[in-house]
Amino acid sequence: MSFLQNYAYYTGAFGLILIGLFIMMTKRNYIKIIIGLSILETGVNLFLIAVGYISGGTAPIFSRSGITAEKMVDPVPQALVLTAIVIGVAVLGMALALAIRLHKHFGTLNLLEIREQRW
Amino acid sequence: MNEIMNLNPVLLIAVPIGLAMLVPILGLMSSKIVKWVPVVGFLFNSVVSLAVLPRVLNQPIIVKIAGFAPPFGINLVAGPVGMFLAALIAVSGFLVAVYSLDYIHEGAAEKYHILFLLLLSGATGVVLTGDIFNLFVFFEILCISSYALVAYLGNRSGIEAAVKYLIQGAIGSSLLLIGIGLLYGQFGTLNMADLAQNITSFSEPSVFVPMILMVTGLGIEAAIFPLNAWLPDAHSSAPSSISAVLSGIAIEVGLYAVIRVVFTICHVTGSFFVFLVAIAVVTVLIGEMSAFGQKNIKRMLAYSSIGQIGLILFAFSLATEFGVSGGLFQMLSHTLGKVLLFLSAGYMIYRTGSMEISSFEGVGKKMPWTALFFTIGTLSIIGLPPFAGFSSKFLIIKAALAKGDLLYILLMGIVLLGTVIEGTYFFRVVQVIYFKESNNKTEPEGPPVSGLISMSVFAILVVLIGLFPNAILKILTTAASELLNNLEYIRSVLG
Repeated sequence: MSFLQNYAYYTGAFGLILIGLFIMMTKRNYIKIIIGLSILETGVNLFLIAVGYISGGTAPIFSRSGITAEKMVDPVPQALVLTAIVIGVAVLGMALALAIRLHKHFGTLNLLEIREQRW
Repeated sequence: MNEIMNLNPVLLIAVPIGLAMLVPILGLMSSKIVKWVPVVGFLFNSVVSLAVLPRVLNQPIIVKIAGFAPPFGINLVAGPVGMFLAALIAVSGFLVAVYSLDYIHEGAAEKYHILFLLLLSGATGVVLTGDIFNLFVFFEILCISSYALVAYLGNRSGIEAAVKYLIQGAIGSSLLLIGIGLLYGQFGTLNMADLAQNITSFSEPSVFVPMILMVTGLGIEAAIFPLNAWLPDAHSSAPSSISAVLSGIAIEVGLYAVIRVVFTICHVTGSFFVFLVAIAVVTVLIGEMSAFGQKNIKRMLAYSSIGQIGLILFAFSLATEFGVSGGLFQMLSHTLGKVLLFLSAGYMIYRTGSMEISSFEGVGKKMPWTALFFTIGTLSIIGLPPFAGFSSKFLIIKAALAKGDLLYILLMGIVLLGTVIEGTYFFRVVQVIYFKESNNKTEPEGPPVSGLISMSVFAILVVLIGLFPNAILKILTTAASELLNNLEYIRSVLG
């Protein structure tokens, strides 16, 4: 149990990543695949935040007295996550826009029934 | 001239992105100006990148964004590899933009031009950046705009292909981001040179796992087997000018990123290259054999791109100076040849109204110029002298033989078998174009002037590079030494 306690954030993050990948690989409904993608991206973002997080840490502002560098949370991963969230929103928006067009053309969102092009 | 040479390479990224943002405003004023915006942007990029290229051969230009010195700020590394690829992207982007002037005449033309500018500025950003998270961001710009462009026509096949591409591409970019996060967690830096300095051995699990995640994520975009299921659909459903850019530039940029991770950041040696060579040979065979059975011209060209990517990866994984410069040369000749093929096939499809190869009977008489350009493209891709493809394939074969190992000679034989298959299916198309009489009495006309200009410049470049390969060999060997010798790269960035 101590492993889970010590690495709770990493376990949670990789758990979400694996759940997302599992959904994307097993589900056949396009909307469910998009949900899986969203869970996968959340997991990746949580992982990036966990990389820089210090338990009980604070923002890295040096003007306040009595705070040393050891107690500061690394701000770089948070900036990365901000960027990654924006990118994720763009991909999700694109995916949902395609879902509308897909349903218009094929009348279904089941990807097993949409097989006009193969190798 | 001197002023152009001293321009900052960051303009190569900033100008196309800025123009892309200007397109909607310009569209309000006049719908006629919009299509000239990409032409102007990439003309600027071509001039700047070709002018700066000789300068970076001696000394790479390190651009510090906002004045923060690396490894603390984001930096651009305009070294020989980056500038060579940036110039290639700019020149082919310019010519494809000229082709699109008349080719794109239906649908939301404004959005097409925005996405086209974003796609190529993303590609330029990937090849120039020196920061690994920055690479991810530019990569996403490239990917998202190519998802949208694949679905541009909005027809059944386009939407289906875009959905497949998006699902696989999104998994790929997530894997890449996990890899970047793992590296950052250990080394506390995102600068590629700083990472390379800190990584002592690639075979430790703590470096090997992120490297595999990153290579897999980037490999999906680079269409390395078995990660290339999306490619034939996506490249055959897009408009022809976009297929040309996707086949000629987007997948090669993906491969560049793989190579950058493998060579510069992780400094891989030894047995991992044997694995890459094996993957490359399988990619060549799968691509060429699938192309052989195709009746649809664009699918055939798309499968042929898979084969070509395999060949480029094969050359890089030899990890010798000849091999890497051969791989870069093959990138150049594949871009020129495949873009030429897609562009000329675009007008042949447009005028005959069908993508089936059998419907091209008699095209050689009705559209002599387009048929000639298509033939030059096929001859260059197959690798016949005096076209560019011959010199690059020759360099790769020479590099494989110089390895001296029986394994590499055998694998080279398999790759050459792939080239023979390639020759067979391409000559079949050429035979249909020239030597089959058409029953169809309608008179298809030739392409408009803009298309002819763009295709003829590509054809001239293919012939010129084939005739004078030594002219660019110096660039290639300098670039190869940048990739093979990562200490040099680290020193030039970190000082």
